[in-house]
Amino acid sequence: MLNHIKKDFNTMTWVLIPVAIAINIAIGEIVVLLKLPVYLDSIGTVLVGVICGPWAGAVTGALSNTIWGFAIDPNALPWWPVAFFIGYMAGRMAIWGFFKSWWKVIVTGFVVAITAAIISTPIAVYLYGGITASGSSFITAYLLQTGQGVFQAVFSTSFLVEPVDKITTSMLAFAIVQGLSKRFIARFPRPENVEMEGGANQTQLYIAVGVVVVLVLFAAFMLRNILGG
Amino acid sequence: MHERLSFYVKRDSLIHCLNPLTKLTLVLAFVWVAFLTPYYWTPHLEILFGIIPLSFVGKVARSYLNAAVRIILPAASFLFIMQGLFQPIGSEAFFLFWFLHPTRESVMFAFANATRIFVMVSSFTLFLLTTHPSELMSDLTRRGIPGQFAYVIISTLQILPQMQAKAQTIISAQRSRGLDTESSYLKRASALFPLVGPLVFGSLVEVEERAIAIEARGFTSTHVKTSLHDVPDTSLDKAVRWFFIALALIALALRIWLS
Repeated sequence: MLNHIKKDFNTMTWVLIPVAIAINIAIGEIVVLLKLPVYLDSIGTVLVGVICGPWAGAVTGALSNTIWGFAIDPNALPWWPVAFFIGYMAGRMAIWGFFKSWWKVIVTGFVVAITAAIISTPIAVYLYGGITASGSSFITAYLLQTGQGVFQAVFSTSFLVEPVDKITTSMLAFAIVQGLSKRFIARFPRPENVEMEGGANQTQLYIAVGVVVVLVLFAAFMLRNILGG
Repeated sequence: MHERLSFYVKRDSLIHCLNPLTKLTLVLAFVWVAFLTPYYWTPHLEILFGIIPLSFVGKVARSYLNAAVRIILPAASFLFIMQGLFQPIGSEAFFLFWFLHPTRESVMFAFANATRIFVMVSSFTLFLLTTHPSELMSDLTRRGIPGQFAYVIISTLQILPQMQAKAQTIISAQRSRGLDTESSYLKRASALFPLVGPLVFGSLVEVEERAIAIEARGFTSTHVKTSLHDVPDTSLDKAVRWFFIALALIALALRIWLS
């Protein structure tokens, strides 16, 4: 078991992890600059999970939040288990073959989102009493007012917010993997995870890009409706 | 551009001299006690008689208070306002405004919660102000954390500022060729790719070279490595650590006993 995990941690993996963490943070900041209604702060985590295996993804996620907490915003610290499971689940789904075509990546994104919602709910409830310092808490607050329980309100909020974000994240990671050369990916522990069904083709890449744009627009639309109504 | 990203302020104080693990124990004990204590005012007292005096002892009071006012206080206040207004507990409202009805209970709850978060974030800030990341990592490696983790954390702290600088360069470059990053949603959403693409591919290219470089320097070697820099661990450190572990256990015992 342990040797099985160790095989995923070759030197390329260890070198990719810091770069992936920096990608997480840098893209997170670009998204804030563009004022898009998503986070997209775990693209690097998903990327590592997919090409280096679930445990490498989990380590990336956990360290990413730790470093984010220690270097930029201490509020990010308590959420490390969420990032841990995002990386793990992305890797697991990739092993099961769900990173090989654009619609399978959507399934991956959805499963990752549900995982994130399940893990983050108890943290939000026990640590913050349900309402956290993030913007989506307005939805939670609204649901609390309608008489829902804390757990239910927090989970429903995550369930509304997470899928759009995590599917977009997975799609972007997919587009990135498609853009990398085969020779480069072959140096990582699990290149077989991203072998395209029916060979690589440009159409898949364009579809992935299109899905990302549509999802971000959908998020904007949803947000406007919730805040306006 | 090659400077490391950290809060660390170099001073010569009692706290700076403590072993990093001792400081970590102290911080975790503070957070633990703040969340587990059965008494309402403990977190508030921790701030007044623990964290703030310690920042003076560590000679980092100015940086700490600066961070507290600029970063921690706004987040805690936001939390306080949101929870005070929206927690559906208690029955008698102070005032009614639209659908908002803060009650005594919800305001008390929000105050306690915001203070706990304040304790958590500020004790970590204090830790970061007085501990150099490399010192922490070399101490933890000596205590048996795999060297790879230390590598990841230290090199992330180095790569991150470079990456942020690179992102800024890419944004300016794309803007100068006319990329729209400020108008409608559609434009901004599609601006994501010309910004993310070069950043990601540019940084992934370096991965392979770096892997070869550190491999050549014995990265995967399993021999015990010696360190040039020695992190002291005195008997005072041990005493402080045990004191705070005991304190944490007392808090846990009180919690179980009183509830």
